[in-house]
Amino acid sequence: MSDRKITLEYNDKVVRQFMLASVLWGVVGMLVGMLVASQLNYWRLNFNLPWLTFGRLRPLHTNAVIFAFVGNMMFAGVYYSTQRLVKARLASDFLSALHFWGWQLIIVAAAITLPLGFSRGKEYAELIWPIDIAVALIWVVFAVNFFWTLARRHERSLYVAIWFYIATIITVAMLYIVNHLSIPTSLLHSYPVFGGVQDALVQWWYGHNAVAFFLTTPILGIMYYFLPKAAERPVYSYRLSVIHFWSLVFVYIWAGPHHLLNTALPGWLQALGVTFSVMLWAPSWGGMLNGLLTLRGAWHRLRTDPVLKFFAAAVTFYGMATFEGPLLSIKPVNALAHYTDWIIGHVHAGALGWNGFMAAGMFYWLTPRLWNRPLFSQGLANLHFWLGTVGILLYVAAMWTSGITQGLMLNATTEHGTVLAYPNFIDTLNAIRPMMLFRVVGGGLYLVGWMLLVYNLYRTLRGARPVNGTVEVFLSEKTGADERLGVGGMLLNPPVVFSVLGTLSACAWLFGGDFLKLAGLFGTAFFVILAWVHFEARKHQWGAWYDRLLVSVMPFTVLTFVAVAAGGLIQIIPTTLVNRAENIEDRRQIPYTPLELAGRDLYVSEGCYNCHSQMIRTLVPDVLRYGDYSRLGESIYDYPHQWGSKRTGPDLARVGGKYPAVWHYRHMEDPRSVSAGSNMPNYPWLLAQKTDVAALSAKLSVQRMLGVPYPRWTDAEIVENVGRQEQAIVADLRASGASVPPDREIVALIAYLQTLGRSETPPKAAAR
Amino acid sequence: MKPNNSTPPPEDPVRHHVYDGIQEYDKRLPNWWLLTFYGAIVFSIIYWLVTQHFPSSTDESRLHAEMAAIETAKLASSSATLDDATLWKMSRNPAFVDAGKITYNATCASCHNAALTGGIGPNLLDEVWIHGGRPTEVLATVTDGVLVKGMPGWGPVLGSQKVSEVVAFIMSRHDAPGGAK
Repeated sequence: MSDRKITLEYNDKVVRQFMLASVLWGVVGMLVGMLVASQLNYWRLNFNLPWLTFGRLRPLHTNAVIFAFVGNMMFAGVYYSTQRLVKARLASDFLSALHFWGWQLIIVAAAITLPLGFSRGKEYAELIWPIDIAVALIWVVFAVNFFWTLARRHERSLYVAIWFYIATIITVAMLYIVNHLSIPTSLLHSYPVFGGVQDALVQWWYGHNAVAFFLTTPILGIMYYFLPKAAERPVYSYRLSVIHFWSLVFVYIWAGPHHLLNTALPGWLQALGVTFSVMLWAPSWGGMLNGLLTLRGAWHRLRTDPVLKFFAAAVTFYGMATFEGPLLSIKPVNALAHYTDWIIGHVHAGALGWNGFMAAGMFYWLTPRLWNRPLFSQGLANLHFWLGTVGILLYVAAMWTSGITQGLMLNATTEHGTVLAYPNFIDTLNAIRPMMLFRVVGGGLYLVGWMLLVYNLYRTLRGARPVNGTVEVFLSEKTGADERLGVGGMLLNPPVVFSVLGTLSACAWLFGGDFLKLAGLFGTAFFVILAWVHFEARKHQWGAWYDRLLVSVMPFTVLTFVAVAAGGLIQIIPTTLVNRAENIEDRRQIPYTPLELAGRDLYVSEGCYNCHSQMIRTLVPDVLRYGDYSRLGESIYDYPHQWGSKRTGPDLARVGGKYPAVWHYRHMEDPRSVSAGSNMPNYPWLLAQKTDVAALSAKLSVQRMLGVPYPRWTDAEIVENVGRQEQAIVADLRASGASVPPDREIVALIAYLQTLGRSETPPKAAAR
Repeated sequence: MKPNNSTPPPEDPVRHHVYDGIQEYDKRLPNWWLLTFYGAIVFSIIYWLVTQHFPSSTDESRLHAEMAAIETAKLASSSATLDDATLWKMSRNPAFVDAGKITYNATCASCHNAALTGGIGPNLLDEVWIHGGRPTEVLATVTDGVLVKGMPGWGPVLGSQKVSEVVAFIMSRHDAPGGAK
């Protein structure tokens, strides 16, 4: 074998493409964010148009920011850094191009379908099933391109950034596929395979970890490359990298149930959500420490270098948000903050502060290198930084104030704690209107800052010629093939053996009967102590094994997958396997009539869940305001569940029968006619459009397949059933002075709203 | 002033491997950070033991107890029952009527109209009383609602004080029997 030296040219074209796409989609995502934020104060900004209502645009905002803005930024950062960290050009130019154009096509498809009301009704998982399949396929393209590049590397061992990229790729694939399992009823509509509590659990396992593995781990990897590069300082601590990487990926997955605290979710899952969220604090701060302490010795450059300013602030916001997360997971804090703007503030500290500033810092650093020309203006970049920082602080402070104010008002009682102090929900909404306006101002400043970046990049790029990075490698450069771990080496070594034994014991402790539980508790303690003693005695053996793991991509990936899969399996499998009858707490939902189901699908498609929850928590103020607390059995036939995550309006779990049909009719036509001061959009098109009865046949048969006890109706029977209920509602409306043809969507929606909260008490025989 | 401090101090060895020019120290983990890590684990174990193995109550049992206490307090405070005469008196007292008007506008006007002339719900000015027109009957209607007709029960939401004020406001628009002032 010759020891020939060759020069590799990196594929930086795809990096430039992803970067510019991120800049562009960032503008779109933030503009939509400005619009939806303004709609909350000025309902007229919904324009009485279906495709411009809050319920449809809010999913567009979240999806655009997560998958278009941060997604493209992530791909740019991953592709740029990976090629250099492993000294190899991206494996396939074709796959790289397919990845880029496929992803943009998905974004465009999302931007068209979401405003049109095609939605799966699950947060950050709204896209309809054909687009879901495209996302999964393009993600596989990304994975193949990435791992193929690793296979062709000229660098034997894997740097910490690559660990985070590997964790991202496999975990997002797992989460995305499981949470998007659906059965289509038509080309544009499907029902998720999980319903009720199972759907809620899977949804927030996904939703929480989309934050973890789409918005956090890849960006941490990007931090580990770009921050030391920009600071020209060594990374603070390798062993901190090891500890915080493995603890982060293992612990993060478990914390999903903290989105469902004080709900009908079984207590043991809530307890896992609380404990793992608290335990996540230190692993998260490990990343922050390694970022901030890497800047030691470079702090003086923060005064002048906008790139380092952005990175330092981003990591600080990351630390702030990851302290806030565990705090919000403490049940009493959650009882106040959940469903309020505090949560909105929390995610924007992450999205604007951590993701947005990492993106800005990275783009300012990359631009001169990808186009071989200095940045047009350092001054504008500095101005961007200060506008952005003030914008975030204003935004977050406004949302804290708003969330705490509304939370306190909603929970306040009077007359010795026997009645609500603010029985009208509108009063609490009016109290936070000024804060909602400050949020728009803060977001606006942030967007102005981003436009400065756009201008700065435009001036830099104009007339510049793109350049691709190169590297010289020896053909025979050691790839570490001789040191790679096999299956035995991957499994039979102290760290893995102790981790597996400890986790198994902990599971026995969690789930076992009396004896097994005790054995598990002592087993966990025993293995932890044993591992500690062994580590202290054989540190070098542990370190040497990890060095070998770092040259073995496949074993590293498998172990990462095991670590991230554990939490989900342990939480989800018991919940899906448990006998439904045991899971209903003596209440069983009455299946929707065909018309009610049609109305429910309208509720989902209009995105009502973005502002209305259907979950009365086990808290006195919730029960005083909305009625008896929600039981698990009351949503077992809900595909998807609509428990919700935000109460911009009141909870609807027991709204059925609370008002007459004509109240809902007037309210949907013009909410302010019956609820003065409401900020809900008008829905005039529901009075004009016809209910899609023809689709019900396919929908009902899919629901039957999923286990909802529907009889095998013929199409004629469905039409007859729908007609009968429509006539009854229309007669009721006419008696109250509202006249509408029976085939209109409003009738179906009223049918659905009026059945919310209806359930039966099953006979004991059925409950057993 | 040192012009350049990019060379690491000698007591901080970097790891032998360099990735695209990135070096790594291998510093020990900060004690305070380890303390938060271990502290959170200890908290979690204790939390699990307390809530799962030796629970003194569950969310549901706690809620039931609190709601029962509220029920008791409400019953105790309603022992001085309002009779028609008292409510008529309240309906001629501006303190009750004005307070009742505020609650009425916020809660009832959307269906019964701010002028009490009705809308989604019936007219409250005329002498047609579907569910009884004596003040105590109106009080019962407002408190418990008429669920089949879509009138919510406002007692649990507003509390007895506000409900009696609303009734006082409504009755202030009606003549009392025997011309009570």
